[in-house]
Amino acid sequence: MSADASHASPAPAHVAPYRSSKLPDVKLLMWVFLASDTMFFGSLIGTYLAYHNRSLVGPLPRDVFDIPLTTISTFVLLMSSLLMVLSLHALRQNDISRFRLWTAGVAIFGSIFLGFQVFEFTHFVNAGLTVHQNLFGTTFFILTGTHGIHVTVGVIWLVSALITSYLRPTTAKDAVYLEIAGLYWHFVDIVWIVIFTVVYLVEFV
Amino acid sequence: MAETKHSSVTTYLIVAIILGVITYIEFALVEYPQAWLGPSWTLVWLITLSVVKFVMVVMFFMHLKADDRTYTGFFSSGMFIAMATFVGLTAMFVLPRAVSATRPQNVVAGKAAHNEIPEAMLENVRTGGASRGPAQIADNPRVKDRTVPIAAPLASNDASTYTVNVATPPAAEEAGATPSAAEAPSGAGEAASATTPTTEAPSGEAPSGEAASGAPAGAAPAATTVSWDQEHGKAVFNANCMACHQASGEGIPGAFPPLAGHSDDIYALDGGRQYLLDTVLFGLQGPITVNGAPYNGVMPAWGHLADGDIADALNHALTAWSDPPADFQPYVAADVEARRPDNRTPDENHAAREALGLD
Repeated sequence: MSADASHASPAPAHVAPYRSSKLPDVKLLMWVFLASDTMFFGSLIGTYLAYHNRSLVGPLPRDVFDIPLTTISTFVLLMSSLLMVLSLHALRQNDISRFRLWTAGVAIFGSIFLGFQVFEFTHFVNAGLTVHQNLFGTTFFILTGTHGIHVTVGVIWLVSALITSYLRPTTAKDAVYLEIAGLYWHFVDIVWIVIFTVVYLVEFV
Repeated sequence: MAETKHSSVTTYLIVAIILGVITYIEFALVEYPQAWLGPSWTLVWLITLSVVKFVMVVMFFMHLKADDRTYTGFFSSGMFIAMATFVGLTAMFVLPRAVSATRPQNVVAGKAAHNEIPEAMLENVRTGGASRGPAQIADNPRVKDRTVPIAAPLASNDASTYTVNVATPPAAEEAGATPSAAEAPSGAGEAASATTPTTEAPSGEAPSGEAASGAPAGAAPAATTVSWDQEHGKAVFNANCMACHQASGEGIPGAFPPLAGHSDDIYALDGGRQYLLDTVLFGLQGPITVNGAPYNGVMPAWGHLADGDIADALNHALTAWSDPPADFQPYVAADVEARRPDNRTPDENHAAREALGLD
């Protein structure tokens, strides 16, 4: 053994590269990212609440929020999460046509949610609520706008996965890549679950 | 290649149905308030239901229930730090107000409800137009070259200059008030001075002969005009004051007091004009109450700025969000120069504030 060490030969080919974990790197990376994103959204929601009820001028949340509308868009986003797990399930079963169907469904539902948000933002701006109108406008648009950007990124990601499945063979072996896209998507969903309650519903209690 | 025990399609569907039902219940709780439940319990239920939704998505859709514990560890750590940040942020904003409310000087009638926006503050904003919605702006565009006639109308005005006619020169300063007296006679050449920054106005255009004869005229009630560069005032304000007091002058509730709807009131007090200047020049430290809300911070001294800069920033703060106070005499560089020798500390200035009868 000591003789081997003194030769200082290059590492033998059969030695596997160092891995800290048996878990897929991309999946671990995604969970770490989601943990950091949790802190990001935690700060934004905290900022929203810290400045809650401190705007000197309107429009105030009760003037502009439309709970039935936001409930529908929340429901759409929740159902997109269902389609997301169905899509992953189909890919694991090597059922490519269903995988494409459900993935397209997620992207469409996500786009519908974004459409609701664009409608809502337009309505708010027409009502006089801009990002610099008052503290509510600033914190609300930063928070929900950041969430909307996350949804947009998710839609682009899933559409890319869909297009990729036509460009090169996609099988169950690729499931881990769809799984991390799904983790991201569900995370965006749970952030909205919190925003829907804390920002919208609690306002009217 | 052990297939992990991922939930079956049936489980997914059941979870989705439960999520949908919970969302409807949440909606119903808010849209059709239940009298027997009361606001407190409604709040508890809303938060509980959203936590249930959150946990269900994480456990079943994100598979944390069946997946490797490492992922749960990472995500829980992130959640923990996020919650700690959230609690810390809330404490930073809520605790100082709560503590302040218990201080003896604040425990008096009418000061208990710190979380409510005082009606007086709202009224100030409504009437003063500290912050205006699009409709108001359309009705009453804030043109840059408006004229505020107090004594005599102006012949002409320049777009970049905010001009106010004043009946008398700025209040007689202590001995050595010659700079402001020299400013007074420049009224004769007001049209020409329009584009000239105030700081240069006296030397720039007042003929020396007129200045000599103008000194006695300072006592006479002849209408004079003092101009300042409105854009310059805004630029100085935005570069130095905006970070705390905000471009709208609203300040940041709980941290930095508003100027809009407040500095005008101070200006109207006897000695208020000098106090406002002193506060910018020398700073202010200690507990104060503005429109019913307590603040306890530090306003730094801005003496390192040029005299003209301080004067223009003050003029901006007094005119940008509302009409100028009655009898408004715009600050000029000479006013600032005259106050510099006083050289107060922020604490001394706080005493001066109390002497004005302000909390």
